[in-house]
Amino acid sequence: MRALILLAFLVAGCGDDNVSRTLGARCDRPDDCADRCLAPSPDYPGGLCTVDCFSSGDCPDGAECIESEGGVCLYACREPSDCEFLGPGWTCKAEPLRMDQTQQVLVCRGD
Amino acid sequence: MSRRLIALFVLVPQLALADESIAEQPDDDEVEIPDQSVGAAIGIAGGGRVTPGGLRLSGHYLYQLSEQDWFDGTASFTFGTGGAECFRDRMDDVVCDHGFADGRGIEVIAAVRRYFAAQGRFRPFARLGVGIGFARFGDDDVTGLAIPLHLGGGVRASVAKQVAVVAQAELVAGIGRFDRGMGTEPQLGIAVTAGAEFRLP
Repeated sequence: MRALILLAFLVAGCGDDNVSRTLGARCDRPDDCADRCLAPSPDYPGGLCTVDCFSSGDCPDGAECIESEGGVCLYACREPSDCEFLGPGWTCKAEPLRMDQTQQVLVCRGD
Repeated sequence: MSRRLIALFVLVPQLALADESIAEQPDDDEVEIPDQSVGAAIGIAGGGRVTPGGLRLSGHYLYQLSEQDWFDGTASFTFGTGGAECFRDRMDDVVCDHGFADGRGIEVIAAVRRYFAAQGRFRPFARLGVGIGFARFGDDDVTGLAIPLHLGGGVRASVAKQVAVVAQAELVAGIGRFDRGMGTEPQLGIAVTAGAEFRLP
């Protein structure tokens, strides 16, 4: 019985919790995502599932709402290594916030 | 006066209960488990990720193997809800994150029920089996072939010579092979069902 409970926890713990259909999954088209797909490009290597937003409050935890693409959520970061989980070609860049374009925030984008 | 009334209120129901308990002693024919029977049950199955869950309907065929053991051949159908929950992670592997009651499944199970000593009309049992089935998550176009083990138990209550009511719960653990490049994935779930079984002539 204990082994089964342990197995349940192990299975539940598998996978990359940072990435979901809402934010972070790779994509080619909108059907790949819960909300919106930023198609593969130098800005979004491999494509990125994200969420349309007006402010960072609309974004999942750990993401900021930036001005580009009409307002989308991107992972917040402090240094390039914070974006390594997204794969090669991603780095940490300053982008204007959607709500206040005079302010910049560090988010993961293609380098 | 009041003491007599209280004593009356306490004693009369006790006497009535005692009468009922004598009257409700089941005869041996009623409690005896038949050599062969068929049954149907309804309940809930809980899954997640690529294990389907939802409404569970199952049909049973039971055949006596020994004094304590019965073969329990089961066909079960699971009807869940849920939308698209699969995605490609950053390594480009397909990952599914379906909920507790998502997906659909059909499974055939060969199991053995071991009955324990009767307690009145009730016969508790343990159940161990292996199944083979299909799991389908339509909105993600994901289909898999699963081979789960079933471990659980329940209780059978005779309600008449030909009819018994059975409730059971089980853990399901195994592996499945899924398409869309997912490969082999674990299967892990629970199911709780209740139904009726009928003696075959």
